[in-house]
Amino acid sequence: MKISTLATTVALLGCTSAAQATNIEFWYGNTGNVEVAIKAQCDAFNASQSEHKVNCVGQGSYEVSMQKAIAAYRAKNHPVLIQFFDAGTLDLMLSGAVEPVQDLMPEVKWDSYIAGARAYYETSKGKLFAQPYNSSTLLFYTNKTELEKAGVTETPRSWEGIIEAARKLKAAGHACPFVTDGDTWRILEQFSARHGLPIATKHNGYDGLDAEYVINSTFAAKHLANLVEWRKEGLVRLAADTKAGNYTAAFNAGECAMMEQSSGSYAAAAKAFDGKYELTVNMAPMYKDYTRHNTFVGGASIYVMKGHKQPEIEAAKAFLDFLRKPEQQMSFTAATGYVPVTTDVLDVIAKSDEANSPKYATAKVGVESMNQPATADTRGIRLGFYVQFREVFMEETQKAFAGQQTMQVALDNTKKRGDQLLRRFEQTYKGKQLP
Amino acid sequence: MSSESSLFSHRWLPALLLAPLMLLIVLFFYVPVFQAFYWSFFLEQPFGGGSEFVGLQNFQRVLSDPEFWGATGRTVVFMLTASSLAVVVPLMLAIAADRKIGMSYPARNILVWPKGIAGASIGVVFAFIFNPFVGLMAPLNSLFPGLWNPGIDGTDAFITLVSAHVWSGIPFNFVILLAGLRSIPPTMYQAAAMDGAGPWRRIFDVQLPLIMPQLFLTFVLEFTESITSVFALIDTITGGGPGGSTTLLVYKIYVDGFRGFDLSGASTQTAILMVFVLLLAACQFFFIGRRINYER
Repeated sequence: MKISTLATTVALLGCTSAAQATNIEFWYGNTGNVEVAIKAQCDAFNASQSEHKVNCVGQGSYEVSMQKAIAAYRAKNHPVLIQFFDAGTLDLMLSGAVEPVQDLMPEVKWDSYIAGARAYYETSKGKLFAQPYNSSTLLFYTNKTELEKAGVTETPRSWEGIIEAARKLKAAGHACPFVTDGDTWRILEQFSARHGLPIATKHNGYDGLDAEYVINSTFAAKHLANLVEWRKEGLVRLAADTKAGNYTAAFNAGECAMMEQSSGSYAAAAKAFDGKYELTVNMAPMYKDYTRHNTFVGGASIYVMKGHKQPEIEAAKAFLDFLRKPEQQMSFTAATGYVPVTTDVLDVIAKSDEANSPKYATAKVGVESMNQPATADTRGIRLGFYVQFREVFMEETQKAFAGQQTMQVALDNTKKRGDQLLRRFEQTYKGKQLP
Repeated sequence: MSSESSLFSHRWLPALLLAPLMLLIVLFFYVPVFQAFYWSFFLEQPFGGGSEFVGLQNFQRVLSDPEFWGATGRTVVFMLTASSLAVVVPLMLAIAADRKIGMSYPARNILVWPKGIAGASIGVVFAFIFNPFVGLMAPLNSLFPGLWNPGIDGTDAFITLVSAHVWSGIPFNFVILLAGLRSIPPTMYQAAAMDGAGPWRRIFDVQLPLIMPQLFLTFVLEFTESITSVFALIDTITGGGPGGSTTLLVYKIYVDGFRGFDLSGASTQTAILMVFVLLLAACQFFFIGRRINYER
């Protein structure tokens, strides 16, 4: 009796779900207020129509999400849509596991994406592989209140200016003038891009898999060595030097006065500062002798994975269309500080009466930063096993910050180990062409 | 047929009872191990787009990589320091709890409790205890700034890791060693005391030789355990840093394979680690295990 009831229930469930909308899964890696915003978009999409239903699944971090996607793909149990981060771009392009969005949806006006955002995710022939989603770029955050207390009235724009301000802060008894976590994306990639410096030969790998790292011989090496010196002087602090133990938390709590951080952190910083400190956000600082170039688009984009049936693909398309809508991009920007990267949305914001509202503060600066003159070396990074390279860079430079080796030795080691990774990647994908 | 097997009337019953466990072991141990050995001879694309047979090239590369040897060296240092301490500390506690000193009964109970705490939770707690600004060392740090910071100084991070491991190893080893001590007939001490042996003499000449089987068991388990079980602690306390100073082999494998998507490199190192652990256990049994007298 029990079994037959069960069977009936299962049969009924089967019928209803068949009659229902097409269910698809979307995996993402963010947490905190960004996750809240992503969930809100999923709910809004599901509420807006009844044909498709997207189930948004948080994986806790970009790396974990990618790692699960690899396992799921091998087991043929992968989601239709997945969010991947910038560093995994080449691994995905050569994986054969994803369908370029521009092939899937040729009718979309992909030109409306600003060049800085396109370049990172497009093929050499200009075909967009993924739909940019939570786009960010590196910005410079200051605690204006603390700076003014130390007698710095004008927010510094250059590294020279930052150090001058940091010395004043230190003289005024401030324990943490400038804070960084020494992350590869912040102190190497975005620095190299906006100063127009290559990270690897072959235009950061865009022209072939046989690229080699050059980070130990560009001006970036000098800057990184400066950071070590400034830390010794007490002007620059690492995350582990702070009471908070986390550099964003240290800045948000007012412990540190300046930081370089993704635009995606804006909402959290503004909320933490509310009523206590005044927050300013500008483009990331330059050395005076260098001309400013664009910063890379960071954050992540959404890929469509292969091996799904047509109704599921249709659902995926509908969700991607929904996410591109100006009002969706705007509400996402307002909730997180991520930057809208299509010209139509930027126009809408510019024309609205909220153009100067703080919730769009990062959109303006972020897009300005990504729209600076580009060179062949500032399109993006197309290097294999790049996630592992980031680990290597962090490991070697941490040793330099701890005084176990000089920064130059650290970078020489990073280059050597990085090149080994590139050669192995080249061999792993032997015979494959860069798309 | 021996007397044990006649416990079961049906000859398939024992096999049937064992089957679920065997299935799990095969599924989650033998299959992955086989896969790792297989992949260590290939260059495997993460998404399975193709793989190339490269013979022993992966092994050549790994064995000539200074990072691999660095991680191996740290693993050995950790194994020797952490597992020795993880046996010696519980041994002292067990000897103390075995004597009829005050509080030894509640201590026998309380010292077992940490067994119920997962490695990751221990990690989170120790990260807090050893935090340079709010933890135990904070007063020392305010006297001598920069004296203790596991986030910057590799040695400090390593000490934190060893402490957490030793603490988490106390309950199990304590129970085993205390049980060993309790099983020694009290007449032996009484006889030794009559002959004029002091407390230390009784420990070294009576107790320790008689709990050799238990000591050997805890050492074997600790040595092999310390190599793999430290993962949860590293992941929660240091993340392998700073500057790779706490990247032990087991963590390097995880980072290479799951964060760097280098399946072949990670598989190769897994294969090497596996052989190393087996050899280690074999050596222990061969050289030390045979000398231990299990008879009383």
